[in-house]
Amino acid sequence: MRFPVLQGWMVGSGQRPLRKQLAITLSAIFALSILVAVLLLNQLFGLQARDLIDQRSSFFMDAMLAVREYTSKDVNPIVAPLNEGPGVFRPEAVPSYSAQTVFSYLKAKPEYRDYSYREAALNPTNLRDKADSFETGVIERFRNDPSLKVIAGEKATPLGPMHFVARPIKITKESCLVCHSTPDRAPASQLLTYGDSSGFGWKLNEIVGTQIVTVPQKAVFEAKDRSLFTTALLFVIAFVAVGLITNTVLNQLILRPMREISRKAEEASVTPATVSFDERNRNDEIGLLARSFERMKQSLAISMQMLKDRQGRS
Amino acid sequence: MRWRAAVALLLAVLSLSACRRDQASQVRLCGSAGQLRVGYVGAEEGRARGGQAVLSDQDLARMRDLLTVASRCEVLLEPVASPEQARQRLGGGEWDAAFLPAGLAALALEGSGSGGYNLVRPLGQRSQSRSQLLVPAASTRRTPQQLQGARLGLLPRGSLTGFYLPLYNLHGLSLRSVHYALSYGELLEQLRAGKLDVIAWDAALPDPGADVRLLSEDRNAIPVGALVLSQALVAADHQPFLQVLDQSAAQLPPGLGYVAGVLPEAQRLQRLRAVVNNVESWDLPLEGQPYAVYGRKLQLTPEDQR
Repeated sequence: MRFPVLQGWMVGSGQRPLRKQLAITLSAIFALSILVAVLLLNQLFGLQARDLIDQRSSFFMDAMLAVREYTSKDVNPIVAPLNEGPGVFRPEAVPSYSAQTVFSYLKAKPEYRDYSYREAALNPTNLRDKADSFETGVIERFRNDPSLKVIAGEKATPLGPMHFVARPIKITKESCLVCHSTPDRAPASQLLTYGDSSGFGWKLNEIVGTQIVTVPQKAVFEAKDRSLFTTALLFVIAFVAVGLITNTVLNQLILRPMREISRKAEEASVTPATVSFDERNRNDEIGLLARSFERMKQSLAISMQMLKDRQGRS
Repeated sequence: MRWRAAVALLLAVLSLSACRRDQASQVRLCGSAGQLRVGYVGAEEGRARGGQAVLSDQDLARMRDLLTVASRCEVLLEPVASPEQARQRLGGGEWDAAFLPAGLAALALEGSGSGGYNLVRPLGQRSQSRSQLLVPAASTRRTPQQLQGARLGLLPRGSLTGFYLPLYNLHGLSLRSVHYALSYGELLEQLRAGKLDVIAWDAALPDPGADVRLLSEDRNAIPVGALVLSQALVAADHQPFLQVLDQSAAQLPPGLGYVAGVLPEAQRLQRLRAVVNNVESWDLPLEGQPYAVYGRKLQLTPEDQR
């Protein structure tokens, strides 16, 4: 397909100065290049932002697992005996409490503010951790397919769409069952704090809940848009710089010598003897043009001399 | 120049595309951790047996959604059966908002170290609650002074009718042991089983039966509970949050008795705040341990009694 008007407007039909024609052409090419690049990068950065968030989410969950492990192995043996006494229940002995508390400290940092971490269970001791209908669905999927290690995707919430990454929580230690099997095994202080109706009946190797990290989709898009905007801005700056340099070089190498040659040619048409095309010593096309004009000037001078001689004889 | 205008246009388009996902600014009401941590004890205490039914699954989900919509913030809703646990949460400033019975509301107003809370909405229209002490019908004890050496059953620390007022009224006695339960129902069972000699009771509860009798009743009328907000939230723009709750009061659990558009009367808690402060200054009883109900007992001033 051909677009003569567009083609003429861009590459020049001789209606405008060369410098303008070049500026228009370069602007059009650069704008088109940026547009195509932004469209492609939009896709690429979207994938990268999601990947980054998934990686961070995985890191959070690994870190929280480590906190759980530490609590279970090192803190619980010290704190749990205190819960057997007549004092108040100390949740520091509970791995889930430690993990969620550590995450709340992490969340206080501005860069993690968008991330949310929950350890939702179907039958938790603290009803704060009770799985909602969506989380229940995720836990059921893990229970129905034990080979499933991670579920990621989008979910709708009253705050808008969220991206989530979830992993199963499986009871792998007999020690967990002290507080979660039957009320008669649980510490008295736990019963006095949470009662005897929730958080019991768990079994070894059973998937009882899910670790779930959620991030607003808005945060994913914002991360992508920030990268995209920065890249596009760099493109624009680079293209504007290239345009300005091209324009300057064009002016220095071609336009200015051409204007000079044009001025001298006009002068030579009246008084050829007083004009010298010094550019003829150049080896480029400007030199070639200057040499042509020099020859034309000399021819003109000879012709004018011959005409003058003929007039003198007559 | 045209090419300059083209570059400016391109920059403007790129800027707009980067900002296109910014939503219109909406008022968010979040705590310091970027979440809204909400405690739920309810308007009354000691009703939920064994920690169950503080909030049904359905009510829990509905409330969580409503609070999320009202605050535009991620909500951590924590239903709590134990007043002691609620007391610790309030004391540590771990809740940004809470639905509390009168005793805990009085405690929240004190704001031990966390900056305190403000009452923003009453829970329950009127209260029939009064703190009582019950003994078995066959008991020979007729007055509180005869409870010397008795085994006392209380609700956990933090309860007004089940902890602070009974202890306040038993000042000066030595008890053989103090035992706790999460509900009045469990206390009554233990009294009937002969494990306890006297228990705290609430006059608003249904008649406990002929096998137990009233030993004494505190004369203080218990005011209604309250929704409280932390000082930080009160200092923020919390009116849109309350407006949504007021408009959606019907979606809140019916037993909560949320009263839309009304400010609670904080001065009605004045006397009870004095009682709570007084008892809190004592060494308090541990589960199953002997306890001498002793400590500085302030005589309440006429201002407190208003």
